[in-house]
Amino acid sequence: MGSHLLKNPKIKRTLFTSTFRSSISKSIHQIPHLTNHNSSDSRASTSSLGTSQNTRNPRWIHQNYLVSSLKIRSFSSQVVTDELQTTDGLTVDQITASQWPILDETEGDWRSHASAVAQSIQLIKKRLQWKKLVMRLQMLTIELNKPDLWDDPVHAGKISREHGSLMGKMKEVNGFERELLEHIDMVKLAKEENDGELELESLKALFKMRRSAKEKELKAMLAGAHDPCSCFIEVQPGAGGTESMDWASMVMNMYKSWGQRRGYGVTVVDEMAGEVAGIKRATIKVDGEYAFGYAKAEVGTHRLVRISPFDSGKRRHTSFAAVAVTPILGDVSAQVQINESDLRIERFRSGGAGGQHANTTDSAVRIVHIPTGVTATCQNERSQHQNKAMAMAVLQSRLDQLEMVRQAQMNAQHTQSLTDNSWGNQIRSYVLHPYRMVKDLRTNYEVSDPDSVLDGDLDDFILSYLSASMDKDEDDVC
Amino acid sequence: MILSGFPRFIRCRVSPLSQNLKQPNNYLQTLSHSTHHHGIVSCLSTIPSKPISSSQLQIPLFLREPIYSATVSDLEKWKNWAKTLVYSVGSKFLETDNGPEVNTLYREIQWLLEDVVVEEQRVSTEEKVVKLRTEMDQLYFLWKQRIEKRRPFQYIVGCEHWRDLILCVQEGVLIPRPETAKIVELVQEVVAKDKGLREGLWADLGTGSGALAIAIGKVLGTQGKVIATDLSPIAASVAEFNVKRYDLQDKVEIRQGSWLEPLEDAKGKLAGLVSNPPYIPSDQILGLQAEVGKHEPRLALDGGENGMDDLLHLCEGAASMLKPGGFYAFETNGEKQSKFLVNFMMNHPKSMFQDVRILADFAGIERFVTGFCQ
Repeated sequence: MGSHLLKNPKIKRTLFTSTFRSSISKSIHQIPHLTNHNSSDSRASTSSLGTSQNTRNPRWIHQNYLVSSLKIRSFSSQVVTDELQTTDGLTVDQITASQWPILDETEGDWRSHASAVAQSIQLIKKRLQWKKLVMRLQMLTIELNKPDLWDDPVHAGKISREHGSLMGKMKEVNGFERELLEHIDMVKLAKEENDGELELESLKALFKMRRSAKEKELKAMLAGAHDPCSCFIEVQPGAGGTESMDWASMVMNMYKSWGQRRGYGVTVVDEMAGEVAGIKRATIKVDGEYAFGYAKAEVGTHRLVRISPFDSGKRRHTSFAAVAVTPILGDVSAQVQINESDLRIERFRSGGAGGQHANTTDSAVRIVHIPTGVTATCQNERSQHQNKAMAMAVLQSRLDQLEMVRQAQMNAQHTQSLTDNSWGNQIRSYVLHPYRMVKDLRTNYEVSDPDSVLDGDLDDFILSYLSASMDKDEDDVC
Repeated sequence: MILSGFPRFIRCRVSPLSQNLKQPNNYLQTLSHSTHHHGIVSCLSTIPSKPISSSQLQIPLFLREPIYSATVSDLEKWKNWAKTLVYSVGSKFLETDNGPEVNTLYREIQWLLEDVVVEEQRVSTEEKVVKLRTEMDQLYFLWKQRIEKRRPFQYIVGCEHWRDLILCVQEGVLIPRPETAKIVELVQEVVAKDKGLREGLWADLGTGSGALAIAIGKVLGTQGKVIATDLSPIAASVAEFNVKRYDLQDKVEIRQGSWLEPLEDAKGKLAGLVSNPPYIPSDQILGLQAEVGKHEPRLALDGGENGMDDLLHLCEGAASMLKPGGFYAFETNGEKQSKFLVNFMMNHPKSMFQDVRILADFAGIERFVTGFCQ
């Protein structure tokens, strides 16, 4: 499988990015074994798993300097399982272990930049559950190479999609890591050579990497299979009548603003107003990349403490609202199959004679999935047809979520994190009186400006929760 | 253009009463056809009918050019005003004549904005300017009409979302009802099973906005065609407009005229025949929900003394129009009419129908009569 570590740490595998190609001519004479120019390199483009074998071949090293970026890409499309290192054998782990001081970004020390990037790479790998990812990828590769794979095209499609997506992640991280080590090599080389221009260039490149590393860390947090999906957010008031219904509508508005701030498409799917104020229930659709990945951090019960505007006695009230988030799976083959005969479809009727007698724009549709009792209602679309389609989409999403929970429960490892996330758990407290504060009970993250939070400024809460929940599994270091 | 092929004379007593709605800026060119209908049998006098030119078509709001603008705060102000108006109505409409309730009207406010505002973004700057497809004044005027005159929302915006279609409608054209969509499902079922029906010639009688004709045109095979008729020139031209919007000119042909009359050339050739004819008994017209009774064309609602005038006329005609094995589906007022119709068909001395069935709408009302020609 080519997963053994390299015996000879002195062997170097580097990749020149375009920034450096200009300097290659200058430094190329430094590279050892640079003799055999004319052999054609067939290995660089083969796609076997034995990549590490290639890397032991000196000829490969030399080719690696000369091949076009196209070929380099084909190299990186293979599963790389051994440790990447610099010419003098430095690895990312060693860089972080050596604890080079990480200075402010503006300080131009290459060790500081390199160390910061190395730390990010470690974090990213941890978030991606690197070991598991590598193992899964190897399994998928074996599966993909089976000759009878395409006898079942649905299964094959699934396998190849997952393979593609994991491969993409692996390529990206490996590429990033390789880039870091190369820049370190180049810095050292430049220092030896007293090449000020090259040193400055490398330093700039490291600085740039440090910047983009933060983004990559964030992206790695949303590595769940369904994280890139759009989603539905549903809010329901807890007990307590008007008080809670008003709070539920405040929570709903918070998510509407949050979605709009992030540039997502936000549409109200279902909304039932309370008699006096607020909502009895509401569902919105949040359209856009990673909507589910972020919003899933909001699942749970949200608690409000305030002087009630509905209480003439001006007493302090505590209200609750529950939030549920379900993904809209883009991949139809991943969706739960719904049997038409299991559905009861109820449509709004104006009462009376109907037909030509009635003209109403109300075309609400409610669908009940009889076996599970799951229901979905939609009345905000403009035709019954569309309301039915939207209610079906909501139902599909809810059933998919149920199925995901069921599968995760079968997998004991996940049980813990899921109970953390379940509907009934109180996750955040919003206090408007006697002091002002919003505090996340899972992360203890808090701010003293409830108004901005209620106006949709939620990202800090979401990110702190996501990073806390991702990074706490200490046993799963890359 | 659109109506160049229409006959100069139609054989019915139609009294087109052109009544332009007085509006600021004279923006809408509304032609309100107040037509009185006396049942087809009594329609013998001949009146010249002016062809309806395309300029008399009302362009729905969502298709107009966004040449106006307003600030977000202007729109918010309008929205609050519109909501206050709704709030003042409360459940009055619902209690008087089963009219719209508060939540429905709130949603209509949102939809009206959807059709008029090109980019409504929730931005912090209240002064942000957005593009509109009509003027601010007009928005106030339209919503006032909605609440004070009970003008149907679909006429206000000029369209109705029906099934997966957006059909343009205006005064003089019946707004398609959700119940009627069932007829499309029924047609879908029979054409799925029978190639002859799928590739055959269909007719939609009294097509109104063209809803059934267009929806059926979309479910037929490549050879399948629909001819849709309507007595009202305005309905015919609106239907034509809708057909063009869905690029179905090759599939759906609109002919102006009374029921089966424009179909002489298709006698005995029809693979299918559908219709949602007027079926409300004349004495119930006065008590109708204001949106319907005061604004929608009586021609499309009033089915004569017991509401069956046109249904019976169509049943009699259907036998001679359909080819053997041809399918038909009619919408009725409910159980009483459906049963009467089935009885009429089965016991008619010249009955040629088989597999005659009554089907309920989604509210459980026995709304449709279907069958096949022997």
